[in-house]
Amino acid sequence: MTPNQNLSTKFRTALRNELPIWIQKGIVSEQTAKQLSNAYQLDNLKHESTRLLSAVIFTIGAVLLAGGVISFVAANWEAIPTPIKLALLFFALISFHAVGFWLWHTHNWRRLGHALIFCGCLVFGANIGLVAQIFHISSNWYRGFGAWALGSLVMAWAVRSWIIGVLALGTSFIWFIGFQSDHEQSASFYPLILAVSLLPLAWIIRSRVLYVGTLLGIITAACVLAGYQGSGRQLLLTIAAGGMFMWALGEVRRASEWCLEFANITEGFGLGLLAVAAYIWSFHDLWDSSVFGPMRSLWAFLFFSLSIAISLLAWRRAKRSQLLLTVGVLLVGGILCVSSLLSAASTNISDGEFLFTATTNLAALILAAVIIGVGLIYERRLAFWLGSLYLVLLILSRFLEYETSLLVKSAAFLACGVAVIVAGISYEKYLRRNAASIEGSKGEAGV
Amino acid sequence: MSQRASLVAFIAAVIIQVLILVAVPARKVFTMATGKTVVLKVQPVDPYNILSGYYATLGFDISRVDAFPNVRGVSHGFSEGAWCYAVVEKGDDGTWKPVSLQHDLPDNLPDNRVALLGKLNHGVIRYEIEEFYIPEAQRHSIAEDLSRNVDKARVEVKVDRTGHAALQRLIIEDRIYE
Repeated sequence: MTPNQNLSTKFRTALRNELPIWIQKGIVSEQTAKQLSNAYQLDNLKHESTRLLSAVIFTIGAVLLAGGVISFVAANWEAIPTPIKLALLFFALISFHAVGFWLWHTHNWRRLGHALIFCGCLVFGANIGLVAQIFHISSNWYRGFGAWALGSLVMAWAVRSWIIGVLALGTSFIWFIGFQSDHEQSASFYPLILAVSLLPLAWIIRSRVLYVGTLLGIITAACVLAGYQGSGRQLLLTIAAGGMFMWALGEVRRASEWCLEFANITEGFGLGLLAVAAYIWSFHDLWDSSVFGPMRSLWAFLFFSLSIAISLLAWRRAKRSQLLLTVGVLLVGGILCVSSLLSAASTNISDGEFLFTATTNLAALILAAVIIGVGLIYERRLAFWLGSLYLVLLILSRFLEYETSLLVKSAAFLACGVAVIVAGISYEKYLRRNAASIEGSKGEAGV
Repeated sequence: MSQRASLVAFIAAVIIQVLILVAVPARKVFTMATGKTVVLKVQPVDPYNILSGYYATLGFDISRVDAFPNVRGVSHGFSEGAWCYAVVEKGDDGTWKPVSLQHDLPDNLPDNRVALLGKLNHGVIRYEIEEFYIPEAQRHSIAEDLSRNVDKARVEVKVDRTGHAALQRLIIEDRIYE
């Protein structure tokens, strides 16, 4: 039996340490303890930590090895005839990959093999640059990154590797930045290409880093496409819609319990994007100086529509408390998107300057309440504290922005400080009460 | 995935990487193998910034639109980003001179003329032969030689039937850099 993916190593370590105490106190029998140990594979914990360490050491070692080989070759590079140079490049590429795969599959040295194949992909990228040098190729700089991304993507799928997937994501994004300046229309498909090529891989290998990285890549690319002509309102629209989209994806996973391990992190980044957008545009001056340009926000509209559709899907299965949070997030995203669109429609920004600043501040306040709500409902301390700090940041920013007298500013700082301490104490009491009531109900069930 | 499927997927991925690596210089290799040798006079681009990393940035007579008599001083219709064909003719001094700028690849050019494919970029025509890689050890000596003797510098390029060009060597007086 494989331990549940959602259970952290920290939990399993704590369980392993607690079990002997439980046996001693007679809480569980030795038989039950053995069953728990088998179910959570507690005996493997020591090997797992050793394997993680060895993976890190092997990767560093392999990168150093690749660096050493490249430096040695580079030192004698000019003296080597072109055919030998080319042969060396291909030999290095194939050697890293072949030795990596051989160690991985024949000797079961999974991590060392993986590290060598990753290095092979780095060597592949270096080789593209070296081949371009040998033949004096002076094409567009981003094409090399496109070729590197394609080769890395294929290898990431072949060996089911998250780190090579991240390499493909990074190099493809660099390619996109160069490509979109020359081919604006064709580049608008890039977010779709990312979604199709990397999200399924992240699901299959259950990689949260690759999953969230790809989603952020999609939203950032949409922001680049939207903001290319310098319109700040389009950025607000795209970031807000992207944040809503990530939240909705996280919620549907929580409600359907499918790939549940992606839920928290996806929701967290969704809230983060909304928080950044609401905070930046909560400043009055930003609306005043917002650069105008045509609205070209296809991806923002797509994110917005998908968020609504996905939220409706999750609606039936979600608990009442979860629904409240989703409504809050949709409200925040909706206010930000509508403000952005209305400001685009108004011919004179000064007409609605106050209104847009006020609505964005309202959205930011609701968002702070939602983040604090996440902390309360899911009992996540970090969310509670971040929400509280976000609220304090908003209040203090407004005080500093509108040139209030020093005395009022000092009162605001004091009030915020006191409010944070009181909120923190109340939250800790709330968590303890909850823990006590759970213990109590367990005790009653036992009786 | 089974062991066999993993192996097949892995080998396919390595082959694709090798093919990509082969494809990078394929066009240049084809041009070098089948193209006609053309010598172009180098023009100074930015004498204070010849080196860009490990590359020397080169400009040529044919980089300027107004170097071509047929489009000089008239509305030529070549907009930013447009592809064009630069027809050059072999001169008495061995270097090739601009003759005309065309929208399409000209047919039946005589032996002493070739057409190079270029793209209008920020007011100059680029032929993808503007960057010459310089080995680290020779970086400063070549850069100095080039900035002192830019009027005597030439490049030897190969041009294939479709107009694609490949840079072969940089020649400054009798000194050859490859």
